Amino acid sequence: MSAHLEFPESHTVTFRLHVNGEEREVSAEPRTHLADVLREHCGLTATHLGCEQGVCGACTVEIDGVPQRSCLQSATRFEGREIRTLEAFENDPLGAALRRAFSEEHALQCGYCTPGMLITARDIVQRLPQADEARIREELAGNLCRCTGYRGIVRAIQRVLETYPHESSDGR
Amino acid sequence: MTGAPPDTQAKGIGARLARKEDARFLSGRGEFVADIRRPGMLDVAFVRAPVAHARIVDIEKPEGWESLVYTMADMAEVKPIVAASKLPGFQKSEQYPLAKDKVRFVGEMVAMCVAPSRARAEDLAEQVFVDYEDLPVVSDMHAAANGTAEGKLHEHWDSNVFLETQVDNKAGIADDVVSVRRQLSTSRQCQVPLEGRGVVCWWDHRLNRLEMTSAAQMPHINRTGLAECLGLDEGQVRVVSPDVGGGFGYKGILLPEEICCAWLAMKLDRPIRWIEDRNEHLSANANCREHAYDISVHVERSGRLAGIDCDAIVDSGAYSSYPFSACLEAAQIGSILPGPYKMDSYSCHTRSAATNKPPILPYRGVARTGVCFALEVMLDIAARELGIEPFELRERSLVGPDDMPYTNITNKLFDSGDYIACMHRAVEALDWSGWRARQAETNGRKRIGLGLATFCEQGAHGTSVYHGWGIPMVPGYEQCNARVTTDGILELQIGAHSHGQSMETTMAQVANTVLGIDPEQVRIMHGDTGGSPYSTGTWGSRNAVMSGGAVAAACEKLADRVRRLASHLMDVAADDLIFENGGVVSGDRSRSMTLADIAHTWYRAPQLLPDDVDPAGLGLVAGYKMRPDMGTFSYATHACAVEVDTVTGAVKLLDYAICEDGGVLLNPMVVEGQLLGGLAQGIGTALYEEIPFDDEAQPLASTLADYMVPGAAEMPHLTIEHMETPSPFSTFGQKGIGEGGAIAPPAAITNAVNDALGGLGAEIHSVPISPERVIAALEAAHESD
Repeated sequence: MSAHLEFPESHTVTFRLHVNGEEREVSAEPRTHLADVLREHCGLTATHLGCEQGVCGACTVEIDGVPQRSCLQSATRFEGREIRTLEAFENDPLGAALRRAFSEEHALQCGYCTPGMLITARDIVQRLPQADEARIREELAGNLCRCTGYRGIVRAIQRVLETYPHESSDGR
Repeated sequence: MTGAPPDTQAKGIGARLARKEDARFLSGRGEFVADIRRPGMLDVAFVRAPVAHARIVDIEKPEGWESLVYTMADMAEVKPIVAASKLPGFQKSEQYPLAKDKVRFVGEMVAMCVAPSRARAEDLAEQVFVDYEDLPVVSDMHAAANGTAEGKLHEHWDSNVFLETQVDNKAGIADDVVSVRRQLSTSRQCQVPLEGRGVVCWWDHRLNRLEMTSAAQMPHINRTGLAECLGLDEGQVRVVSPDVGGGFGYKGILLPEEICCAWLAMKLDRPIRWIEDRNEHLSANANCREHAYDISVHVERSGRLAGIDCDAIVDSGAYSSYPFSACLEAAQIGSILPGPYKMDSYSCHTRSAATNKPPILPYRGVARTGVCFALEVMLDIAARELGIEPFELRERSLVGPDDMPYTNITNKLFDSGDYIACMHRAVEALDWSGWRARQAETNGRKRIGLGLATFCEQGAHGTSVYHGWGIPMVPGYEQCNARVTTDGILELQIGAHSHGQSMETTMAQVANTVLGIDPEQVRIMHGDTGGSPYSTGTWGSRNAVMSGGAVAAACEKLADRVRRLASHLMDVAADDLIFENGGVVSGDRSRSMTLADIAHTWYRAPQLLPDDVDPAGLGLVAGYKMRPDMGTFSYATHACAVEVDTVTGAVKLLDYAICEDGGVLLNPMVVEGQLLGGLAQGIGTALYEEIPFDDEAQPLASTLADYMVPGAAEMPHLTIEHMETPSPFSTFGQKGIGEGGAIAPPAAITNAVNDALGGLGAEIHSVPISPERVIAALEAAHESD
């Protein structure tokens, strides 16, 4: 028989978020940051937490098309914004090209930083089509990886920059 | 047979096969501990000690919420963690999962609070009042080791030393040797896998057992330890290590948090979750690499190494962690300091000092990173003294190809390799002479320096290496459960765990090499004590050799069974059957059968089997042990060029080259990945990563903003060269090589910096080589002028 437990009251607020093209109604404490709401309330666990301080980049998501940390601000502040997590890029041709390049270049080992890396990589490819290796490395400054030594990640992004969007639009 | 079968030839050992595990991680479908949900799950937050050494006078739980807060007094039936070594003189510690009577390091857990969310559990933790009576803090390992510290970690001990060891192989050396002596040190670090530790556990009433999901490198060891501390039989504990976001030694431990959460899950009969945050990770668990050496090397005028004398101290922290113990690292220094060199004389005295800091854990390379730093830095200092290049000195003393197999001065049996050729290839890959020319042109504010470091990495240590330590675990036979499903899929269960090492791919490549089966048809299941054979798990660069050996042994045995069935079904002599493309084919290629056909017959058409068929069928357990089991010795030389700014103290890596020999590579892409990741961590050790502690043993770098992990821009241009000298002692000639990348960088980079500063009389003796340490070295040189 589970013990009956009572807990100190908590104050929750109800708000709406637009996540991966869907409208979500969330009830959470106002202090809950976006990553926790995505993971704990929306069941979207691709977004990982590495430091909850804005340094490691594992929690990077797209807000109105721009990469942003999801660990630094209360989720309530994202009302009315377009939030996209890695789960949104399942059928995205650029996402597919990046996934293939990441695998071919061994750009992941444990896979924990990978979702944040892919969001940042997607942004680099779209925003900086002329980026050279040094620029890619500089752009990756906000995403830490402890396994790969970064070479595979940099090469994967370079590979997609060289071939995208020249390849077929279905990403194959 | 219609159509050509798919070519599986390029998927076995040696192929750069893309990883089977990638797809789930790339789509965000990896399942890490924090991703797991259970109905009714509660979160835990711990009250952790804010002081390093104090008596607990009183713990006051928040009024009205006492039932949500637990202390060690509530867990009276739980036993402390004891990881004793049987080496003579070892003083053992008892670590209660929640502190009992006193706290011994900042971050030690004092109370556990439970609530429906972590944030609400932390609210409760903030309301727990603990009355501490300060005790004198032991923050300096030298004071602890030398008996000059005022404080005492463990009241019943004679001193603040877990263990003292002495290796004495001293022999006479020539009078006219050049002897150099220095005090060198490495700083306290944390491994910092990107995912921290974490636990989700509950009691399963159907199976009457604890279900423990934990980010663990060695789930079977955790299971044993949990059963011991909780007073359960092992059948009542299942440990599952799901996807794990990096380990590097950080997760090779029985956690006090696991014991607390398990106890609470049983107490409340609710699923319990604890997910470590980065502050807990860095402040309560800064747990590795802090070594101090007083070392002398003696070199003949010819450049030949005559001997080493060393006195080493390792800051082992407050407790002995399970299973590796507090003494493994320091005692290992005594046995591995000679590295890959021949010498006449050797002595080494070591002490594992107990201080008010987090308990020591092995970090990638374990003591090797420290000893490589100590010895290789000294060899370059000696070479400068003799006026010869560092590789000239080393080539006179490295173990040579004709010496193999070679037993060194501490009785290590080297299996194979050409260390001298390897070193020269690294030197050439860097373009050493080209950099020397450039160096001669620059002697202003920014100075160029060159350095190299050579080491050997013993991997897959066996029973004969470990039983002598007398610690809670001794690696023995590694095993694999293998079975074929009704439709011909090969299922392999291993007791080790892969958390980035790519074993789902490389073990399938091993199966392909033995059975010809497509790796896509092979499922590797690991990290679950529920079905896999016992294993000491993933540590010490052991699984390419040990799990690889076990998978090969299981596949060989299975091949035998399949061959006998196929022989009957195909009417072909068993020894005339060849495995290829996921089936068997007769020597004259006239008849073939797929594994699926054979499996279908075994499971679903047994009427076709002969009466004398082996009833054990298509499932089995096979085991593997290396013979001799000293381990494999991979090795490498790292060479680099740096630029040192003598005004700011900044060090820039200009170029880097590695030549390594890991024997037969299961998957060269994976090996390079291990090398690159290790290199990044080694560069962190060399230049950036340090958690300083003040005199009160307060950690001073408790966030990733203070503890600097290398980013993409910090990695240098790199050339990698492979040599592949097979080990005569492993199944395919493969060697363990997972840690090597992290071993040599501090030594190679320090040597390069000292080369750059040599003309100014300055020398670096400690890593990381922060700008402050460079400036201090330059100022010291200036003052001594």
